[in-house]
Amino acid sequence: MEKIVELKNVTKTYLSGEKEFNALNNINLSINKGELVVILGPSGAGKSTLLNLIGGMDTPTNGEIIIAGENISKYNENKLSDYRARNIGFIFQFYNILPTLTVLENVELIKDIINNDVDAKEAIKAVGLEKHMNKFPNQLSGGEQQRVSIARAIAKNPKLLLCDEPTGALDSKTGVEVLKLLKKQCDGNNGENTVIIVTHNSLFADIADTVIRVKNGQIESVIENQNPKNIDDVKW
Amino acid sequence: MSKLNKKLFRDIKYNKSQFINIFIMVFLGVFVFSGIHSYMDGMDISGKNYYESNNLQDIWVSGENFTDDDLSDIKKIDNVKDAERQLSIITELNGYDNVSLETIFIESNNISKFYVLDGEEFNKEKSGVWIDSFLANNLNIKVGDEITFKYQNNELTKKVLGLITTPDHVYFMKDDSAIFPTHKDYGFIYLSINEFPDEYIYDMIKENVVDESKILSTLYGFSDEFWSTATKMVDTKDYIVFNTMIVDIDDTSKIEDTKRDIENNIESALAVTDREASTSYKGYNSEIEEGDTYSGVFTFLFLFIALLSVVTTMNRFVKSQRTQIGTLKALGFKRGKIIWHYVSYGFFISLFASFLGIFVGAVILGSFFLNMEMEYFEVPIYDTIILPIVYILAIMVVILVTFVTYLSCRKILMEPAVDALRVEVPKIKISKFNITTKGIFKNSSISTKWNLRDVFRNKGRSIMAIVGVIGCTMLLVCAFGMLDSMNSYLNWEFEIINNFKYKLVLENDYKDKELNFLKEKYGDSTSKTLGIEIQNGDKKETNVALVNDSNGYLQITGHNREVIELNGDGIYITEKLSKKLGLGIGDEIKWHVFGDDDWYTTKISGLNRDPQSQCLTMTKEFYESLGFKYKPDSIYTNQDMSKIEDLAGVDNIQSIDNLKSGMYAMLNTMKSMIVIFVIVSAILGFVIIYNLGILSFTEKEYQFATLKVLGFKNKQIRDIFEKQNIWLSIIAVILGLPLGFIMTDYIFKEALGDSYDFNAQIKLLTYLIAFIGSMFVSIFVNKVLSKKIDKIDMVTSLKGNE
Repeated sequence: MEKIVELKNVTKTYLSGEKEFNALNNINLSINKGELVVILGPSGAGKSTLLNLIGGMDTPTNGEIIIAGENISKYNENKLSDYRARNIGFIFQFYNILPTLTVLENVELIKDIINNDVDAKEAIKAVGLEKHMNKFPNQLSGGEQQRVSIARAIAKNPKLLLCDEPTGALDSKTGVEVLKLLKKQCDGNNGENTVIIVTHNSLFADIADTVIRVKNGQIESVIENQNPKNIDDVKW
Repeated sequence: MSKLNKKLFRDIKYNKSQFINIFIMVFLGVFVFSGIHSYMDGMDISGKNYYESNNLQDIWVSGENFTDDDLSDIKKIDNVKDAERQLSIITELNGYDNVSLETIFIESNNISKFYVLDGEEFNKEKSGVWIDSFLANNLNIKVGDEITFKYQNNELTKKVLGLITTPDHVYFMKDDSAIFPTHKDYGFIYLSINEFPDEYIYDMIKENVVDESKILSTLYGFSDEFWSTATKMVDTKDYIVFNTMIVDIDDTSKIEDTKRDIENNIESALAVTDREASTSYKGYNSEIEEGDTYSGVFTFLFLFIALLSVVTTMNRFVKSQRTQIGTLKALGFKRGKIIWHYVSYGFFISLFASFLGIFVGAVILGSFFLNMEMEYFEVPIYDTIILPIVYILAIMVVILVTFVTYLSCRKILMEPAVDALRVEVPKIKISKFNITTKGIFKNSSISTKWNLRDVFRNKGRSIMAIVGVIGCTMLLVCAFGMLDSMNSYLNWEFEIINNFKYKLVLENDYKDKELNFLKEKYGDSTSKTLGIEIQNGDKKETNVALVNDSNGYLQITGHNREVIELNGDGIYITEKLSKKLGLGIGDEIKWHVFGDDDWYTTKISGLNRDPQSQCLTMTKEFYESLGFKYKPDSIYTNQDMSKIEDLAGVDNIQSIDNLKSGMYAMLNTMKSMIVIFVIVSAILGFVIIYNLGILSFTEKEYQFATLKVLGFKNKQIRDIFEKQNIWLSIIAVILGLPLGFIMTDYIFKEALGDSYDFNAQIKLLTYLIAFIGSMFVSIFVNKVLSKKIDKIDMVTSLKGNE
């Protein structure tokens, strides 16, 4: 299968006071295109750091990160912005949508950075918020806000959709709905889209094509799930 | 150190730019207030102390000749403590270019006592002069030097015994056309009455005898021998003409009664005036009153802007600590302890900044202004003074900052701990944003909509940014506008009204033949100034009336400074005086000339405007129609008089160019004040815009981080950030320009004394400078701040928001 993400000997070191701390330590990893990948691990394991490096929000201290054939590890700020704009959709635990823009405007925001975007209204329809298009974020529930964030992400038609605890702030029912949307994104576009979810919830492992376990800044295991479960079949 | 105190210091350290800005703003506000107040109060108290310790007279009595009997009679009047006679004349100082001296011969010096800076105290028996120390310094005259001065044809050479100041010569000028003293061409000297030259008295007697006994003189002639014998028989003291009396009284509340008693009982008294009519006393006080207006305007502006900004910042800071307040509460910290912890931030910083502002303001700004002012005023000992009001204001500033911090903190503490632990959900009223989804905004870019909504959502911060830039613009308009207005005033005074090159001020007792000669040689363009009293209700006001027969050399200007022709139907009064008296065209005004008991009721036939004299004006024809004989006191000419020093019948010759150069020298002094204003306004503008920019940036940081994550480039985000600040700055500058005019106009109208009438005249260039200056500060700060966008760490910012 075609690889979309390749990490070669990646280390990320932070300074904590006067001490150095390796959030990721000499990691080698590859992710196939079109998969739903779940990265599991306890708090402080290095999951989010891994996601941020793949997403071009941070740069590695050492090693190479190759995304869809592009080595982004030495990119400068400007190139990274371009890279994110073209390739990456982000979904966060706390949504990070702009409070003073309406649902539609939050999604249309993408038009300011790329041209090949999906129609904003279609993206909103896809997440089932067509009736709330002109509402402001504070008029929506948490689940609805997260759906806005998904709509904004898929409006870019990204190669990689990166989700950091996307259901962490939601109740289980809403969380399931959000997961279904993410799965739908992954299955769309003839299997070209890849979705990476970072979570500490091990139930996610059941629905993933690949499960990566991270511990103490290292990859503990990479397991390919031959028979991923249907989301509705998992007891959340 | 308690952990909370550690937290306090660390919070201040981590938010140092905000706290430094709070410090600077409180400091600047109090600095300006203290600076202006300490100089103004310093002037006020130093003046009062000087008047008190050197016994400034309460009453001035002018007359033709005060006899020994007059002196003893005046001393007998109830409430009169002491009185002294003076003989005052104007002399010319030899060896210097056009220096006049008010030369005062005195018998004693218990009233308006000398303050001797160098030399000896007054002694009637000593031969010599005591000279105005300011003039002496400028002319490099020292104790022990000899000076020669001339009155008519008599020259006197005397040794300088002392360099002095006197409390009745604090502020004085050469003539009416000067508005600021230069201490270079005019000053005063005092001599003992014993020094009055006998020769002058002999000459005077001779002249009178010849004049009075023309027939005898023609028939018999008077030989030199006759005069020599005759003068030996004369006691010159009997012929000394004391023309002024200065009076010290016991109870100033009875001054009006005492003045009336003097008027009624002393026949030789022509005019009895008090301190309020004294140029020196009034001039000094009106300068302090001007300071009062400046102080009011600038203190209000500075403190208002600085405090609003500090209050906004503290409020925002406490709000940003919301979850920490919730945490402390949840941990079981008592409410009082949490409140004190947060109140301490504002309290200690504003306390330190306020008190530093008081002392630095007084020492630097106060001393600078005071030293500059005191170049004009002859007060020997002066210093800045910090009155309790300054401390009270500083304490109020501290209390206000502390109180606002308390209110912000209390609001959060009132909530249950569990709520305070959550980040406050921004309240967004949809109705507020409706405007941005309709009309012209419907198709505007998302960044425009986003910025518009951000402005409305953060009204307090937006208003503060606008107010800050308005303040900065107003100060710039005011600083340059004052210079423009002064230039415009000088143009009015010297290019329009005084339309002559030379003014010949005639002696009081010139002879007809001298006048005829002068008129023949220099033209028949003359004027006469009369000291008058105007009846205003129950009160009498001292003023002057100008009889203008100058044939256009002394022009009269109307409401818009246009030259108008006087008609001979009645009297003209200046617009400002007309407002003060409540009189208009067609009304009647009642007045009399000093020394003449006849009152005249005349019709007001027109209104004129004069920038520095609010008086009555009439034509020679109208003056004569009242029954007066016109005897001019000034002749105007455009002929070159620069080489002419002595003319019979002429007291002094004033050159318009000299007056102008004096004025322009004063403008240079003003320019240094303007530099200060510009610097302070730039600092104020910079600090406020920077501070609010930081607030705005901090509050939007996570939104910018989100945009970054989405792939927006730094430049795009910088454009979004700068857009809002540029909008607010443009709005503020547009509002600030007219407000700057209003402030300048207010200062000119209110700060200057009653005798002045000129308003702000601001050039387009000044508005342009203020616009560019304010926008430059705003754009510069924006650029500095927007650099921070490049440094936003997406991961940290987004995590921080969680």
